Amino acid sequence: MRSHERTARRYAKALYDVAREAGATESIGRELEQVSVVFTGDAGAHDVLTRPWIKPADRRGVAMAIAQKAGTGKLVQDFVGLVAERGRADHLPEIVGAYRTLVDDELGRARAQVRTAVALTDGEKRELSGKLEHALGKRIILEEQVDATLLGGFIAQVGSLIFDGSLDGQLARMRQRLARG
Amino acid sequence: MIRVLAIAALLLGVVPAAALASEGGGGLINLDRSIIIQGINFLLLLLILGKLLYKPLLAKMEERTQAIRKSLEEAQAARADAQREREEHASKLQAAYAEAQAIRATALKEAAEEQRRLVEGARAEAGRLVESARSEMAQEVTRARQALRQEVVDLAITAAERLIRKSLRDEDHRRIVQDAIGRVDKVN
Repeated sequence: MRSHERTARRYAKALYDVAREAGATESIGRELEQVSVVFTGDAGAHDVLTRPWIKPADRRGVAMAIAQKAGTGKLVQDFVGLVAERGRADHLPEIVGAYRTLVDDELGRARAQVRTAVALTDGEKRELSGKLEHALGKRIILEEQVDATLLGGFIAQVGSLIFDGSLDGQLARMRQRLARG
Repeated sequence: MIRVLAIAALLLGVVPAAALASEGGGGLINLDRSIIIQGINFLLLLLILGKLLYKPLLAKMEERTQAIRKSLEEAQAARADAQREREEHASKLQAAYAEAQAIRATALKEAAEEQRRLVEGARAEAGRLVESARSEMAQEVTRARQALRQEVVDLAITAAERLIRKSLRDEDHRRIVQDAIGRVDKVN
């Protein structure tokens, strides 16, 4: 997994450099996310692009066709074709993540993955974003995921920082305290 | 020899007396010249007997005396030897007895020392075993307590989770979220 991430970062950095020269880092990022959604959602396309016995040129052609169909520009088509040709199509989700991080760093923002027991209201999202921005000194993009296994509250993660505001976390801490005596 | 001559003299004195006594009615001996001849015969006989019988007899007696004396001396020497040997044996016996006593005393001392050492070793081992058992027991008790505590805590927390899940309403969720957002400030 770590080697996946390293490889994904290299590809993302290469695309990011080209996109920055073109002054289109955000739009390229959005296109890349669209292609990634198609790749991961289409099992047939995923199979074709990850089978090592399919010729690299064929993989490239298929990947570029999918990207073109998803309405992406020439740069993303070429990039996706290159990734598929090199047999790295299964790295695409990580490449998207790494690219997103690079763009976020450039724009001085961070993404907060928030797992919550019930959906947050708009006011709660604003308030939480504001608090996180104040705490981290960055603009925060909130990515909410409702997790019914949580009892209550939420768990927010920004990079390596984790804030546990869930009842589950409180109960877990209470369990540890009581077990220690 | 002196005794023989004394007997002969006695006989010479007695015989004339006997002859004189018998003059009146006739005795065994006649007091005439024949008595001299008889006296001479007697002396000759005495001399011959002394030479032929008495001296060998004396020599034999002397020889036997010497033999007896020698035997006595040998017996005394043998007795002395026996006594000496007995004393030597007694001395050796005494030494052996003393040595045996010393060996016995040493053996008894070593046995007592060995016994003491064994008893001390056994006592120390018993102490170690008791200490080890006590320590293991204490650890076991601690583990059991910890396991029991963990079990009780798990049961309590699981029950609390079920209760919370059943009883939470939307306003509770909102309040919990608000509380959590309020604590974000403390993140650093």
